[in-house]
Formats: sequence, C-alpha cells, structure tokens
Amino acid sequence: MRLLTNPPNQLRLFSLVLILAAAWVGAAEKNPHSVQVTIRTILAENKSDDYDPRLKGMEQQLKPLKYRSYRLLKAEDQNVPSKGTGSFEIPGGRSLTVAPQDFQDNRIALKVRLTERDKPVIDTTVKIPNKGNFILGGPPHEGGVLVLSISATAQ
Amino acid sequence: MRDCENIRESIGRWLDGELDAAESESITAHLASCDECRKARQQLESIQHILKTTLLAEAQQIEFLPFWRGLQLRIGHKTSWYQQALERARETFTLSRAAWLVPASIAVLLAILSLESYIPGWREGRNSFASVESIDAYGRNVALLRQNESKTTVIWLYEDQEGENETADEPAKSAPAF
Repeated sequence: MRLLTNPPNQLRLFSLVLILAAAWVGAAEKNPHSVQVTIRTILAENKSDDYDPRLKGMEQQLKPLKYRSYRLLKAEDQNVPSKGTGSFEIPGGRSLTVAPQDFQDNRIALKVRLTERDKPVIDTTVKIPNKGNFILGGPPHEGGVLVLSISATAQ
Repeated sequence: MRDCENIRESIGRWLDGELDAAESESITAHLASCDECRKARQQLESIQHILKTTLLAEAQQIEFLPFWRGLQLRIGHKTSWYQQALERARETFTLSRAAWLVPASIAVLLAILSLESYIPGWREGRNSFASVESIDAYGRNVALLRQNESKTTVIWLYEDQEGENETADEPAKSAPAF
C-alpha cells in the first residue's frame, strides 16, 4: 500500500486506468451487437401539394427531389444482427435486404439490395454515419416514385 | 504617581492632537500642577523639534522628482501578453505538474470519444455524408446526389423515357428531378 502513497506511482496507476478505459471505449465502438435498420417508404408524386405530417423532419432531405407531394406509405424497423440480413417488404412486389457489414469510425457499412418480383434492381454498399441515413429512390409506383429512407443505428 | 505615569504615556498623543477634548483638558490641568510631567512634556517637545528640523534639512537634499517618475513608469508599464503567458507557463509547468499532463490528455481524449454517444455526428464534420462504396443497378441508370444542406446522399434509379411504366394512364416521372 505504501506504493500507492507515492505521487509518481499514483500518476502511473491513474494513467493505466485511463488507458484501459480508453481501450474499453474503443472496443465498445468496434463491436456493436446489432444494427437497428429503419426503412421509411415514401411515395413522391406531382398530383397534389400534400406533405405527409409523419415525414416532419425530412423536409430538407426530400427538398432536392423536387416532387410536390410526399406520402409515407410504410415505416418498418428491424434489429439486424451485425453479420445478419434484414428483409423488408416494399410496396409494388419489391423487397429490400439490408446487411450490416462493418462498423468503423462511427460509420456503418450496409449492403443493400432491392429486388422487384425476385429480379435484382440494385445492389449497393453504402457507409453511413451511425444514426444517419441515405435515400434510395426512383422505382415507379402508382403514378409516382418510391423514395426509401434507409437509416441505421448501432446497438 | 500612577496618574503621572498615565499622563506621560499620553503626552505624545496629546502633542500630536490625537486625544479627545476631555482627555486633553485633564492632561492640560495635570501639567499645570505637576513639574515632573511638565519636564517630560518639554523633553518630548524638544525631541520632536530636533527630529522635525533634521528631517526637513535632509529632505531638501533628496531628489524626489526622479523617484516619483520611476514609480509612475513602473505603475504604468504593462508587460506584453507573451511575457505574461511565459510567466504563467513557468508557474504552471513545473516538472511535477507537467507530469499530470499525460493522464489529463488521456482524460480529455476519452471525454471527446464518449461525447460521440451523446451528440451523434459532432465529430464527423465533413464526413457526415453517406458514402457509396459500390453500386450495381443491373443496366439501369443511376444518379448520385449529395446535398450539403441536409448532409444527405441520394441514390436515384431512373429509366429512359421509353422505359416501361407501371400504369399506362399516368406515366411515372422516374427520371431524376433534381
């Protein structure tokens, strides 16, 4: 115990504890158990000027798409295991699979595949900031287009 | 006798005018009737006189003007910011104190790292966009858009105008509108 009353030793011990804590924080960041994936399916069209109030907060993200009307068709979230795959049903006989690939520097790599009647439409790998999202849009639907907001949060 | 001792102790203050009226009157009355105390008063007065004349004579030879100028200069002088910083650094970074900088730096680093969980994206800066690593649209046209204002990345699929639409009555506006 006498060792601990010596200020230089106290300093070394304190540094060691901090380094261990730093390592723990770093390790915690690298290994999320799962990723919460949220898909919001939006119908964008020009038939009216209605903006779905459930899409509040997304105005800035949808603004560059230049459609007049946006309506939320479906919102679904799934807890997808780190190396697993989540499957989401999208209107129009489509399906979206999302597979978290990697988590580094607070960014999540997602492998995303959209299929339509079992035919692949797009395969992409996107790295998004944790708790961030990206938009995949363009498939025609009911006279408008589908806009998918794909967001992910490490758990 | 006791009175005389007290009076002699107070004569100095009486001569300097530091006593109140009652005390002053009492001493004046005592001095009028006591020879010994009167002698003590005369001695004190002569000492004061000698001191005063000596000091006045010496003070005339002292040059106060340069002294006051120097004093004013020192009061008015402001040390530069780097001198102040240097002085402060010297006081702060003594060897024993500097040793604490190592764990303190680690602690700050840890705090910055843990801030990320409370304020998501604060460390991201320009890196807050989603980045597209690979893309295969199976022959379809793809447009990529990055919007600075909302830090949004958009992947937009579109078909040529002669491409098929879901309904013949209302053709879909699938080409990128942005």
